[in-house]
Formats: sequence, structure tokens, C-alpha cells
Amino acid sequence: MLNILIIGNGQCGNRILDAINRESFGKKSRFAKFYSQQKYKSNVQTIAINTAINDLKEMSFTKAKDRIHIPHLHGVGANRNVGKNVFEENKSHIMRQIQERGDFDVCFVLTSASGGTGSSFSPMLIKELKEKGDYPVYAVVVLPFREEGTLYLQNAAFCLRDIRESGVDGIILADNQFLKQMGGNVESAYNGINDMIARRLLFLLDALDSEMMMVTDLGDFKTVMSGGAGIATIGFYEADTGMPVKNAIREALSPSGLLFSTDVYKEASRSMVIIRGDRESLSIDEISEEVEKLSSSVGHVFKGIVVRKDEHPQVLAVLTLESASELENLYAIAVDAINYERQKKERVETQKDVDRAFSQIDGLDPSY
Amino acid sequence: MLIIMSFILLFSLLSIGSASGKILFNSTIQQGDGYQINNYVIDVTEVFTSQDAVTLRIYKGESDNDDYVYDPFLSVDSSYEFDIEDEDVEITLIDVYSGVVPQVKLLITVSDDDFINSKTEGIVDGGHSEAVFSGTPVLKISKSVDKNTVGVGDIVRVTVTVENTGDDDAEDVIFSDPFQPKFILIDDILGTPGRMDIASDDPTKKVYLYDLKATEAGTFSLSPATASFSNSVGESFPQASSNSPTVLVEASKDLVTADLDVDLEFDSYTVNRKDEIEATVRIKNLGSASANAVNIGILIPEGLEYAGGDSVIEVISGEPTIYLDSFGAQQEKEINFKLKVMEIGTYTIKTESSYLFDDGVNTQKQEVSSDSVSNAIYVAEGEYDYLFEQPIYVYLIPLIIIGAVAGWIIHRHKQYKF
Repeated sequence: MLNILIIGNGQCGNRILDAINRESFGKKSRFAKFYSQQKYKSNVQTIAINTAINDLKEMSFTKAKDRIHIPHLHGVGANRNVGKNVFEENKSHIMRQIQERGDFDVCFVLTSASGGTGSSFSPMLIKELKEKGDYPVYAVVVLPFREEGTLYLQNAAFCLRDIRESGVDGIILADNQFLKQMGGNVESAYNGINDMIARRLLFLLDALDSEMMMVTDLGDFKTVMSGGAGIATIGFYEADTGMPVKNAIREALSPSGLLFSTDVYKEASRSMVIIRGDRESLSIDEISEEVEKLSSSVGHVFKGIVVRKDEHPQVLAVLTLESASELENLYAIAVDAINYERQKKERVETQKDVDRAFSQIDGLDPSY
Repeated sequence: MLIIMSFILLFSLLSIGSASGKILFNSTIQQGDGYQINNYVIDVTEVFTSQDAVTLRIYKGESDNDDYVYDPFLSVDSSYEFDIEDEDVEITLIDVYSGVVPQVKLLITVSDDDFINSKTEGIVDGGHSEAVFSGTPVLKISKSVDKNTVGVGDIVRVTVTVENTGDDDAEDVIFSDPFQPKFILIDDILGTPGRMDIASDDPTKKVYLYDLKATEAGTFSLSPATASFSNSVGESFPQASSNSPTVLVEASKDLVTADLDVDLEFDSYTVNRKDEIEATVRIKNLGSASANAVNIGILIPEGLEYAGGDSVIEVISGEPTIYLDSFGAQQEKEINFKLKVMEIGTYTIKTESSYLFDDGVNTQKQEVSSDSVSNAIYVAEGEYDYLFEQPIYVYLIPLIIIGAVAGWIIHRHKQYKF
């Protein structure tokens, strides 16, 4: 049994973590926690960290003892510099809370790249975890909507760089901009994205600790994640009744199944495909055909099959990327945003228009 | 011869003694005077001193001089015998005495003097014309009413008359007419008659005249009026009584009554334990007068519980009591209250009613009390009673489960409450 640590940082990380805990009850009811048990196969510890207490209070399926509030007003206001200082001041407290949970085989840090607490805490936290622990740490990073504003875009750009430089063992990207195309309003889109990420991670955790007909394990996962540029994404698809498993594999590898927009056949470096379902629906020929097709483009594909009676075929694909054109696009926009913010600041400092306005009444007194 | 003479003398003396057993008079009487024995007067009409004889005339009652009944001529030592009221009276002339007014000595004996009225016995100066005779007054007292049939509240005029049908005056007559139960004296027109004399030849005299008011229905005999009296010589006679007229008093239309009918009904007579029953007290005044101070006590048996009701119901010493200051004639009222059934059984509820009313006749209000009992209420086992008849584990196990679930929910809530 694996010992797995999942840390949700900031509002986005908290919500994904809560969605994972909710999904783990196996029920959709908001009262599931009262009558059901979490069905983790592994020993999963979850910790939510936030400076905003209201974000922690909104969580429903994460135990109170697993929510760490870092007191600093009600957040860091999307200012990563403030966030870093707050983390530095509370580092020992946070690390003590984590270390009290014991030793782990693997850790996932869930965070948004664009916010305040998550984007500033996560790189430093990963660095601390890597220094204090002897287990791989993977970051699940959610990229912002492009129109969310210049501050978020520059935060995302610097956060991703900081995480990559923190010693992280891999970054799994999820892109809000890409995922929102699935429709719905903003709130349902956020919830839908959180649920998608949660479901994929749970599937992955379940697969890593399950008996398989064809085995993939944590070692395979590490190998996959160590390939490419250290950036990965996850694809997932659950087939409908009667859908051939090969179609499910294709859907999982298609843009609609991925968390981040990429052409896996062009940009992927390594891959791990895990297929779960009823024995009857799992055609080895179809699976082999699709895996071979993928491996011909990617190189190596780890393949795992989990047999579950009466389940429709479900396919999870973890793909590390050699390159990511979408990420480059993001950085291009982010650079513009950084420049725009810098110019605006400089303009305020040099022009001092308001000061000039006030200077016109220097030496004068009101007369009545 | 001497012996024979002695026997003859003794025989004579014995004979005299037997004829006139008791000496009534043995003295002298002047000529013209008389000696009265009851209604008889023995007048000494003429004394013949020269002949030692006397002429007597015996009168009965008031009579003319010539209207005597006997006139014996007696010589000294001779006797005359007659009877008064069946008793023998013997007059013997003992001697005669000359003088301005001649006198005679008479010996009057009677066989028995019981019949003799001492007040009409003795020498009468002037003879029979001056004698006072005693008679027997007979008072005939009549009590009459002007109506023999009246209604309650009607007036009856009572007249009492008296008539002396005897042969002597009634003197010192004192009348008495006792209080008449069930009637009220409204007007005493003549007032109480005083002591009076009623001559034998007096016309019928009205002694009482008064009005009575009938207060109660029924047939009543009026008490007789009485009179005590004596005759002209002061002899007392037995009390005279009048007749007793009968008066039939019918319930008058003018008499008013209050007649409360108190009825207790329930919305259901077959209920389950722990149910509530809606009770209605229906009060109806069937009479023609208002009832006052109406007090209705509702006696609730054990097993039932008073569970509130209309504001006119007050609980006094644990007993729901309805009090109404006034309740008009023909008025109807419904008062509701609730009962909670506590125990299985059959129950009846008793109501005790009392009230006052003015009947328009009597000065004091009439008080009426009555009881009534409701129909029976049958109380069966309650809908959930069977729950309490189960063994303890039947309750304990669900309670433990509920407690465990609640505990688990609280535990979970605390786990997730931030």
C-alpha cells in the first residue's frame, strides 16, 4: 500500500483537494461523509493550506484537522512577494504539520499558478518537501483563463518557472482556458474542471495501488514523469455502453480528454495508459492496436489494465511533453502582461500627475 | 200499740228520707218571695196563718203570674212532690208565721242535687218575676270563602259570621281564627274582633272579614274559627268551632318559574386513550322566569382530565364550574370544553346544577337543585398504546441505533467542522 500525500495550496488547490475527498466517498451526495467512508486504496493523507480562512471554511469533505490556516488577513491579494514572505514566516509550522503525518511514497501538490497563496507557497513548499523528504513530489498546476488579468498571467509565468526550479519531480498541467471550452457558466466550469482533475488523480492513485492484469506502478509513473521537459498532462475518458475500448483510448488522448491542450502524437515524450473495465469490454487487440499507435509516435508507453466487473471501459493517459506550444503562447501573453504592468508602474512613478495637481495650491490658504 | 206506733213513725221517717234524699232548703220564706231551683221558682203566694197553711205556685221559666205549672196548698206538716229534670223534689210545710209579712218555714228536699245549678238556686226576692233563669247559648260560627277554586296568587275573601241560636245570651265571647298555612294575609278588613256579648235574639253577626292570597297549588281546608263564651249567668261552655271551607288552589298562569335543562354531550362516545373529547354543555331555560346565580359543577371522574374550555368555566378546587349570573327565560347557551382521556374504561360525567328564580308570588327567591348524568364514554386502547406494551429491548435497540447514528453524525460533523 502506497503512502500518498496530497497538498492543496490556495483557493484552487483547496477546491481540487475537496473534490478529490468528495469523489473518494464514491457518492455524489453532500451528506456522503455522514454515511460513507473514503475509498482510497492507498494510505492517502490530504492537507489544505490557505491564508484565506473563508476558502478553508468552504471545504466540506476535507477533515478540519487537515486544513491549515496561515493567518494573514484574508489572503495575500495575488501578490506573490507577500505570499513568499508569509510562507517563510510560517514555514516551520507548515512543515511540522506535514511531517507529523509520517513518511510518504509520493506527494502531489495541487495549486493554481495564477493566484496569491497557491502560486507563491507552492514552489517554496515543494522545495522544502524535497529537502526534508525522500519521496517524489509532483505539482498539479492549474493555468489561468487568459483574460483573468495581467497580474494572474505574470503570476502564472513566474510560478511555473519557480516550481520547475524548486526541484519538483514533474508538473502536471491543467489549463482553465482550455477546459472552459467545455461550456457552462464560470462557476460550473470551475467546479467541472476541479472534478475532472480530481477524478483523474483518483483514478491514477487507484491504479497505482491495484492488482493489474498488466502492471503499471509508481516506478513506471516516475519514469514517465521524468521524461520530456518535466511537464505533463493527463487524459481521461469513460466509455458509454457498447463503445469499443479503442475508441475510449482515442478519446482519452484527444483534446477533449486532456487537461492541457496538446497534440500528444507530436509533443508527448513518454506515456502511461491505464485501462479499467469489465473483462468482456477490454479487447486486448484493440488496446494493443491503440497503444502501438501511440508508442510509434511517443516512443515508450507503459500499459496497465485493471479488470473491474460490470464497469464500462475507462482510460487514463499520463503524458509527459517534450514541448508545449500552448505553454509558449501563455508565456508570450504573460510577457506582454509583465511589460504592461511594469510600464504602468513606471508611468505612475515618473509622471506624478496627481502630485502636480496638488502642487498648484502650494503656498495658498483658503479664504472665507 | 206503742211499738206499732214507733214502727209507723220510723217507716214514715224512712219514707220521707227516701223521697227527699238531700235537704236543699230548710228555712223561712216571706210571702211573695220564691225559691228557685234551676228554671223552676216556687213562689210563696199566700200564707194562711190562721189555718197553718200556705198556697204555693210553681213556675217554670219566665212566666206570667197565672202561667204556673203547679199550685199546691199545703198545711203544716204536709208535703208536695214534683220532679225537675227527672229528679224528685219534695216541699214540706214545717210552720207558718204571722206578721206584717207572713212567713213560712219550708223543707225542700231533692232526690239528687247534682243537676242543680248553684247560680240559679236559692231565695228569690219578689218571686218568680224577679228570678234570673240560666240558658244555653249556642254559637253557630260560619266560615265561608267567596271562591272555592282559585289560582296561585289569587285572592280569597274569607268571611266568618256568628249567630246565637241558644236560649241564653253568650257573654264574654272571644273569637280566634288561626294563621292559614299556604296563604298570605293580604288585608284584614274588619280587624281582630274584641270580647263581645251575643244575645240569643241578635242577628247574625260578621266577626271576621279578610283577604288571603294563595301561594301554592293544592287543595286546602281552611282552619276553623273558634269562640269561647259563657252564658248570662257566667257559665262557661265548650268552645264553638266553625266549619272548614275547602279551597282548591290551581297553578296559576301568573306563577312564573325558571326551569333549566342542562345537557352534556360529546363529539364522540367511543374514543381511544390519549384522545381529546370535545364536550358541549347545553343549557336551556324552559321556564318563564330568569334564573339567577346559575352554578353548574362538572364532576369529572378519575381517568379523564379537564383540558380547557370556554371562559365561563372556572376550575374551583379542581372541579370545572360554570357560573352564570343571570340566564333569561327561554334562553339557550352552549359551553364547550375539552377532556383528555387518560385511562381505558367507561365513564359518565355528572353535572350538578343549582339556581335561583323569582316566581312572582313569593317574596323570597326559589332555589332549585338538580343533577344530570351524561351518556357513557367508552375509552379503548390508544393508537400507540401497544408500543408501551412491548418488551424494553423493542425500544432500547432503536434508541441505541438512533443514538449511535446521532453520535456518528456529531462525530463526523466535528471532524469536518472548521
